[in-house]
Amino acid sequence: MVFSSVVFLFRFLPLFFILYYLAPKRMKNFILFLGSLFFYAWGEPVYVLLMLFSTIVDYTHGRMLERLSGKRAAKCVLLSSVLINLLVLCFFKYADFLIQTVNLFFDTKLPLLNLPLPIGISFYTFQTMSYTIDVYRGEAQVQKNLLDFGVYVTMFPQLIAGPIVKYREVQKQLHSRGVNLCEISEGMKRFCIGLGKKVLLANSLGELWTLISESNLRQISVLTAWIGILAFAFQIYFDFSGYSDMAIGLGRMLGFIFPENFKYPYISGSVTEFWRRWHISLGSWFREYVYIPLGGNRKGLARQLLNILVVWLLTGIWHGAGWNFLLWGLWFAVALVLEKAFLGKLLSWLPKGVGILYTLFVVLGGWVLFALDTPAGILGYFRAMFGMTGVLIDGQALYLGREYLLLFLIAAAASMPFFGKVVEKLKKSGSGFGIAVYGLGEKVIPTVLLLLSIAGIVDATYNPFLYFRF
Amino acid sequence: MREKKSAIISICFISFVILVFTLADLIRQDRVFSETENKVLASRPEFAWDALFFGDYTADMENYLTEQFVGREKWITMKTSVDIALGRREINGVYLGTDGYLMEQHLPEQFTPIQEMKKIALLEKLVQEWNASVMLVPTADTVLWDRLPANAPCYDQVHFLEQVVQRIGEEHYIDVYTVLREHAKEEIYYRTDHHWTSLGAFYGYQAWAEAMGGKGDYDPADLEAVTEDFLGTLHSKVNLNLKAEAIRYFPETAAHPLKVTYDLKTVTDTCYAESYLDTKNKYGFFLDDNHGFIEIDTDTQNGKVLFVIKDSYANCFIPLLIPDYEKIYVMDLRYFNGRLFGFMKNYEPDEGMDVLVLYNCIHFLEDFAYLE
Repeated sequence: MVFSSVVFLFRFLPLFFILYYLAPKRMKNFILFLGSLFFYAWGEPVYVLLMLFSTIVDYTHGRMLERLSGKRAAKCVLLSSVLINLLVLCFFKYADFLIQTVNLFFDTKLPLLNLPLPIGISFYTFQTMSYTIDVYRGEAQVQKNLLDFGVYVTMFPQLIAGPIVKYREVQKQLHSRGVNLCEISEGMKRFCIGLGKKVLLANSLGELWTLISESNLRQISVLTAWIGILAFAFQIYFDFSGYSDMAIGLGRMLGFIFPENFKYPYISGSVTEFWRRWHISLGSWFREYVYIPLGGNRKGLARQLLNILVVWLLTGIWHGAGWNFLLWGLWFAVALVLEKAFLGKLLSWLPKGVGILYTLFVVLGGWVLFALDTPAGILGYFRAMFGMTGVLIDGQALYLGREYLLLFLIAAAASMPFFGKVVEKLKKSGSGFGIAVYGLGEKVIPTVLLLLSIAGIVDATYNPFLYFRF
Repeated sequence: MREKKSAIISICFISFVILVFTLADLIRQDRVFSETENKVLASRPEFAWDALFFGDYTADMENYLTEQFVGREKWITMKTSVDIALGRREINGVYLGTDGYLMEQHLPEQFTPIQEMKKIALLEKLVQEWNASVMLVPTADTVLWDRLPANAPCYDQVHFLEQVVQRIGEEHYIDVYTVLREHAKEEIYYRTDHHWTSLGAFYGYQAWAEAMGGKGDYDPADLEAVTEDFLGTLHSKVNLNLKAEAIRYFPETAAHPLKVTYDLKTVTDTCYAESYLDTKNKYGFFLDDNHGFIEIDTDTQNGKVLFVIKDSYANCFIPLLIPDYEKIYVMDLRYFNGRLFGFMKNYEPDEGMDVLVLYNCIHFLEDFAYLE
């Protein structure tokens, strides 16, 4: 089930929360667990078993780690847990990619498995790994209650698209959490804002990107190409951060505090900063469980550069089983290494605007690698962006620019702290008027966003069948 | 305390929206058919274990819930209004032109040169075999281009037509574009529908008559409205609150005694079907909407026979030909899958017949196909 659907908003959501709030405290986890299984099974009736398998495996590994704590065998248990998680992930996500790669290099004809990817597998396997690793390190306590652990793995708000919540970040709340009206209200508003980002901004700009990326790349003008990739940049940001907002909002309504996942990444002054603001929970996962264990920056510069390379290749391939994602990771690794070497210092001397432009340039280039999955597509797009098609501006660019101008402006404002600053100013204005505007706005705006999003969701299936057009 | 009060109001606002529409949606009745969308809406899927296993059941259920969702058309109007407020002038493949004109979008890449060449070759064969004349009517975006949003991308129908003339020869080609363009300021296309109006068809007839020596003597001043409530196919696509428009026709085309036979069975005495005026599809008034094969016997006694191969653009044009032919055969290739030339020979009298191909450019490129 996805959040931006009629079935979620008008069936699952009201029914689940009515049951959840009415239930006595000791029943809440049970209801959350059952609700989450239903939520997942709706889209993945079979793979729900895989998720339960993963839950039980990590639960038992956790219990074994507790018993063996301090002994050498504990390391084997940890290894076993990590291996099982990675095997499951690799089998379902990367098997076909590996087979294709083998076929390509060794000219073999191994058949593909063609398994559909289980939704959210990259997220929940990373979550469960954080659990066993933290238990092994003594940074998290063992969960003895299978239901509580099941709730951690399967919890529907962040199950499908993050944020990746580390076990220790919610271990207390899994056992006992309360929720008050202010939190529920904040959660609801956050959810509506996230929904609006996804439906109103991401989907609309996504249409523009689809239109441009599917047109003849040999003929599009430079301006069209840049409009297109900018549209994709906004689409992926609002899609992803909207989803995180919805997850965080739903979490708050349940009494959970999930970590923030995005902090205005497009105003970063360097690529290093960008990765501290973009998909924060993934970055911190890799940092904590890969980069630092590999030695981080403590084993000399050469080793650090190697570690950066490894982490970013993994980050790339985590996003999808394809060469373009590896390339995308590599692209950022190169930028980060350059910044470590000299670029970072240089940027710190220059005005901040230069850094922002440079970062946007790298990030937008990265999105070309990310969004187009064939070498011809990627090369064709870069050629168009850098004027090899020979046309700077054409009618299409002017037309599309004009069609989407307002949406771009709203998207740009929404990806900067602009709206947040306005809100702060009103809140702290001290004048009766400012506070009244704030009080009204904070209630009305999320509601209006919700209504408009419903319109967008219903409209998505609107496709008049014009049989009588003939 | 104050924060709490504020929180309660926020919760009420948002819960109200969710709960009210949930309840309303739970008690609404399923609709079978949506007239605006002209399609049968999804119905409640039957539960089956294997459908659940493969995920079809839940996918069908989501589609069903969304298509049946309470107030569906109001939501769609709301979405369209938001898009327009955001400065969009193209909704769901329809351009919002100036002066209230909706025009279907045809993108420049819509047809490849190979597709164009194939269709032209097919047309050429027909023209040569039957000495046919050809009327390809450009759609509104080409003729009324000055009412489109600035720089709106458009498939170049004029260029396509130039290629057609070149291949089939000017003697077979009736230039409708030029005459329509001359009258672009008049009501030659519907504002809410993709067809040309009877006035547009009249100018088409003038071009035809000039080339073929037509005898019909029509005056646009005689056009009479049969309905003022027409909201056509393009209106459905944008689903905005628009002003309805009139469908007009030349009354004298209805003054002749006729015998019209639809699909070899249904016989009537008129080429107009008033019953369609009570439906959404009011353009169906002309020639009873769409039929595979129509035979029209007129009271004109000149022994001349015409065979028209056409799309729906011809429906409001054909009645204008009544004074010119004793017998008119009308064929819609989309409903015919036999061998065309053999079929035509069956109907060809010894002294021969005229053959006319009449399509709008886009339908021609999409649908024109036959087996010899």
